[in-house]
Amino acid sequence: MKRYLLLAFALLFAAIYLFPVYWMYATALKTSGSIFKYPPELWPSEPLVQVSRVFAEHDIGRYLWNSLLVASGITAITMLLGTGAAYALANARGAKANVALFLVIVLQVLPPSLMVTPLFVAFNHVGLLDYPRTAVVLATAAKTLAFYIVLCRATFTQVPRELKDAALVDGNSHLGAFFLIILPLARNGILITSVLVFLQSFGEYVYSRSFIATRELQTATVNLATYLSANSADWVGLMNYAGIYVAPILIVFILLQRQIVTGLTSGALK
Amino acid sequence: MLQSGLVKYLRDGKGFEGTLIVAAVLYLLVFAAFPLIYTVVMSFQEVDMFTLGTLVRPFAGLTNYTDLFHRPEFAPIVWNTMIFVTLSIAFQLTIGFALALFFLQDFPGSTYVRGLFLAGWILPALVVGAVWRWIFAGDFGVLNYALQSLGLIDGQIYWLSDPAYALYSVIIANIWLGIPFNMILLSVGLAGIPGDVYEAAEMDGANVIQRFLTITLPMMGPTLGAVVALGVIFTLQQFDLVAALTQGGPANASNVAQYWSWQMSFQTYEISGGATVATMMIALVIVVAVIYVRSVQREQSF
Repeated sequence: MKRYLLLAFALLFAAIYLFPVYWMYATALKTSGSIFKYPPELWPSEPLVQVSRVFAEHDIGRYLWNSLLVASGITAITMLLGTGAAYALANARGAKANVALFLVIVLQVLPPSLMVTPLFVAFNHVGLLDYPRTAVVLATAAKTLAFYIVLCRATFTQVPRELKDAALVDGNSHLGAFFLIILPLARNGILITSVLVFLQSFGEYVYSRSFIATRELQTATVNLATYLSANSADWVGLMNYAGIYVAPILIVFILLQRQIVTGLTSGALK
Repeated sequence: MLQSGLVKYLRDGKGFEGTLIVAAVLYLLVFAAFPLIYTVVMSFQEVDMFTLGTLVRPFAGLTNYTDLFHRPEFAPIVWNTMIFVTLSIAFQLTIGFALALFFLQDFPGSTYVRGLFLAGWILPALVVGAVWRWIFAGDFGVLNYALQSLGLIDGQIYWLSDPAYALYSVIIANIWLGIPFNMILLSVGLAGIPGDVYEAAEMDGANVIQRFLTITLPMMGPTLGAVVALGVIFTLQQFDLVAALTQGGPANASNVAQYWSWQMSFQTYEISGGATVATMMIALVIVVAVIYVRSVQREQSF
């Protein structure tokens, strides 16, 4: 009996915590007249699905596409450079490896809003700002790469060393042992960390806001922020926009919830 | 001959793993370490719209720093940043710790329900800011309604436009964002405390509060230290919420250093100023990060 009472409390806490998410979708279903009622309706009395209207009106597809492109680029660079480095750092011993790991962890904490000034000036010198989405990808990947290496390294340390040694004894090269033995074993950890990197990049704001001047190339965060400051009373439109934007994120989260929690807890403190 | 030697070096021996590390480190040096040094350099130069495109700029000595300290908004923004960091961490940690302790109890679905909280961590901070802006709305906002129904306030609070409340609104939203991460990390720490320590204490007649103070808190010390350090780092990164909620306004009432730096560089084009604030803040973040890494490494060597 006590156990079910605890569950009831747990659900109550979760419901209170997640109220903002509920409120976003509840508002998205209201009419533009009914949101200006006071007291507010906690449940939309005449729900109205306006998703497709808002989607077309604000050309949301274009901006979501930009976000998708940017997030894919960031994730690709991060996985390509990060996986091998995480593996090597999980194996390596000695002063050089310690310095490399230390560098990775410290560079992970640099706030993008502070790094954006020198990056902007440097990218301006070399002409990268003519390719603003590439500039966003390159800058953000420096941030996600460090995060990815730290988490993936924890995954690789869990793969027993003996397996690699056995593969080497069997005549594999280091290259072969990595691709044929180690990578398949660490696959789950790598995939979950990549999903986390992708989801984070999908919501990137600082670099996109600062590097992308052309409206057509903006990501959804930047476009939503512009809309937010220009039409701050159109809450129905804004909450529809926000709801559409985060729907894929929430779906991935619900599907992979357990693995995400495990992935985060295994590497975050190490 | 040389080429096949290189291939062999990469396929076998240390060459392969060394190359993997060097590739990643090189990327980080170009896109993270170089800008880091460049921002320090720019904080000693005159950088504005006219000298932006040139490589050789007039040396400014310490004038960027002295100018910054003499600005009327300097002291309030430093103070705001301190309040922002302190209050955010205090509440994220307390609420996160309480929830972690709650979910440590044995009941059906505890892991799943605890995981639901991470939805707050995974959402883009800018979107979270947009939703909170609607919750905070003065006339029709649901927060004012909730507080009035509970009898806590009489009139409306204009959370985002009243200088007395603007900073605290951003802090409330930031606490919301930080709770899940704190809770998960502290749960990991709590799970590491062996159960028989509690059983022994219980047999000795220690009550719940005594057990918390004499076992849980001391054994959680290293984890709490790491979580606070990470909290400082994450809080000083928070930009998106400020952008979505108040843009630092009204009249800098809710402005914090990391947003101010960006404003100077990208809105008023005082790039030296932006770089100078960035230099000081990055130095602070690196000091905290070094303390964090060293404490975690010392922990692991046991």
